[in-house]
Amino acid sequence: MLLEIENLTMQFGGLVAVNNVSLNIQEGEIHALIGPNGSGKTTIFNVVSGYYKPTGGVVRFRGKQISGLPAYRITALGLARTFQNLRLFRSMTVMENVLVSLGHHAKTRFWQHVLDPFSVRREEERLKEKALETLRVMRIEQYADEQATSLPYGLQRRVEIARALATEPTLVLLDEPAAGLNETETAELRDILLQIRASGITVFLVEHDMKLVMEISDVVSVLDYGKKIAEGSCSAVSCDPVVIEAYLGKEGE
Amino acid sequence: MKTRSTLWKTLALVAFLALLLAMPKIARNDYQVRILNMTGLYILISLGLNIAMGYCGQINLAMGAFWAVGAYTAALLNTNFKWPFWLTLPAAMVISAIIGVVVGLPSLKVRSHYLAIVTIGLGEVINIILVNEEKITRGAMGIPGIKRPSLFGFTFNSEQKYYYLVLVAVILGYLIARQITRHRFGRAFRAIRDDYVAAKAMGVNTGFYQILAIVISGVYAGVAGVLFAHLNTYISPDIFEFRSTLFVLTMTMVGGMGNLLGSLVGGILVILQEALRTFKDWQLVFYGVAVVLVVLFFPGGVMGIAQRWRERQATRLASAAEKEEAGNPPSGEVR
Repeated sequence: MLLEIENLTMQFGGLVAVNNVSLNIQEGEIHALIGPNGSGKTTIFNVVSGYYKPTGGVVRFRGKQISGLPAYRITALGLARTFQNLRLFRSMTVMENVLVSLGHHAKTRFWQHVLDPFSVRREEERLKEKALETLRVMRIEQYADEQATSLPYGLQRRVEIARALATEPTLVLLDEPAAGLNETETAELRDILLQIRASGITVFLVEHDMKLVMEISDVVSVLDYGKKIAEGSCSAVSCDPVVIEAYLGKEGE
Repeated sequence: MKTRSTLWKTLALVAFLALLLAMPKIARNDYQVRILNMTGLYILISLGLNIAMGYCGQINLAMGAFWAVGAYTAALLNTNFKWPFWLTLPAAMVISAIIGVVVGLPSLKVRSHYLAIVTIGLGEVINIILVNEEKITRGAMGIPGIKRPSLFGFTFNSEQKYYYLVLVAVILGYLIARQITRHRFGRAFRAIRDDYVAAKAMGVNTGFYQILAIVISGVYAGVAGVLFAHLNTYISPDIFEFRSTLFVLTMTMVGGMGNLLGSLVGGILVILQEALRTFKDWQLVFYGVAVVLVVLFFPGGVMGIAQRWRERQATRLASAAEKEEAGNPPSGEVR
């Protein structure tokens, strides 16, 4: 099991955002997490990626407990994420944005940055080559030197994913990657996500675009009011009366 | 086209360096060379502040205190133990770095303005210690008799000779700052400044880099302090007032935050300050107004304006090229 979420509870004061949720993610799958607005999806992401310390339960990644670790350590262990509302580094080019993620793969020490420009330059070349590879996967290599935030929205979304992939994760958490994309862009995103899975990276996905979710997900988990109400294959979940009720309400109400 | 512009750049750089080398000859008296030396020292402090504040977004307003720490370390080691400049310098760098960690620690808990206030407080504490620990620092009487540095029998015993020492220090300081900010460390700093939350998600150990940025700024100010102690040969606490920190802040903001050349441009303010000396306390009003104007209208300072102008020039060239291409018939006939 790549990621195990066990009896996770996240309470903010009196508000229980996530209530005793257990969820497992297998290596190599695309696992979607769906549910109405405010059902706790992003909260789960924030706990798993280390932004919140859970008030109950544990999260294990490759058998190691990660809940309670600082976010940057979790990223270094191979668990990367994107943000629902884009959080690109606005002073940087697309290339630089991706290079930030490659920082913890760098081997030069601080004193070398002060005294040894040659090693630093050599490493810089190597990191740039790596960054370019990631940009190619996301099909944005031609924008490498553009200011990231000056790109059209759809491309910015891809930079956001590129940045997460550049940390070389085994599991990537994508928070609504299709939000705000038009149909063509979403179709391209679908291809990219399948390509990511094919390259051996497991994907944990929060998404509202049900067409996309149903097309690519291996497993779907459904949240409602902070509780997991269903889990299974796409077809099973979409026929589940509990799920339909959560989304559409009960008949005769 | 490209080679021609680099040729021009090289020529301009060589001319500029030649001008810098000739400055002590151009200056009319020692006093003017002293101002140039002080400009160099302020540029060093500003480079440090630029890394912490301009690149990493950590407002370190204890810069005056760091410069005092550097100066006092040098003065005490030189007068009590006869350590030469070449030993007081690394010693002061180490001590500034250690104090930098202490001043940097609050950055883990407080951000932006709050950090600014905490660092002001810590800086003042350091200054108060220097005034009151009379047994060690001689308090308000200050420390006289600091020796000028010498190298292979050559002593930097005049303002003119010291100028070259300062010049080398500024050039090295600039090149090192450039090296730090251009690669991995600079990107981590900017990532923290741009978006702290996202930086963490990209594996940036934000706390480490924040403290590092403040340590670097402290070491730069500490080095400037050492250079000042050995230049002035006498130091007392009143030279390290909070006002000098405010001055460096003004310099950095007017020159251009997040751009090292901004710190060099800001150096002009030191010369301007001398010209404004007759206005005494009213100078503070000038700084205040300058900072407010910069924040409101030119957030990138002088360098920001320069960059915007260059970008506009580039887009104009690009659109002109496009027009020309569109205007030309495909066969390339004369219009």
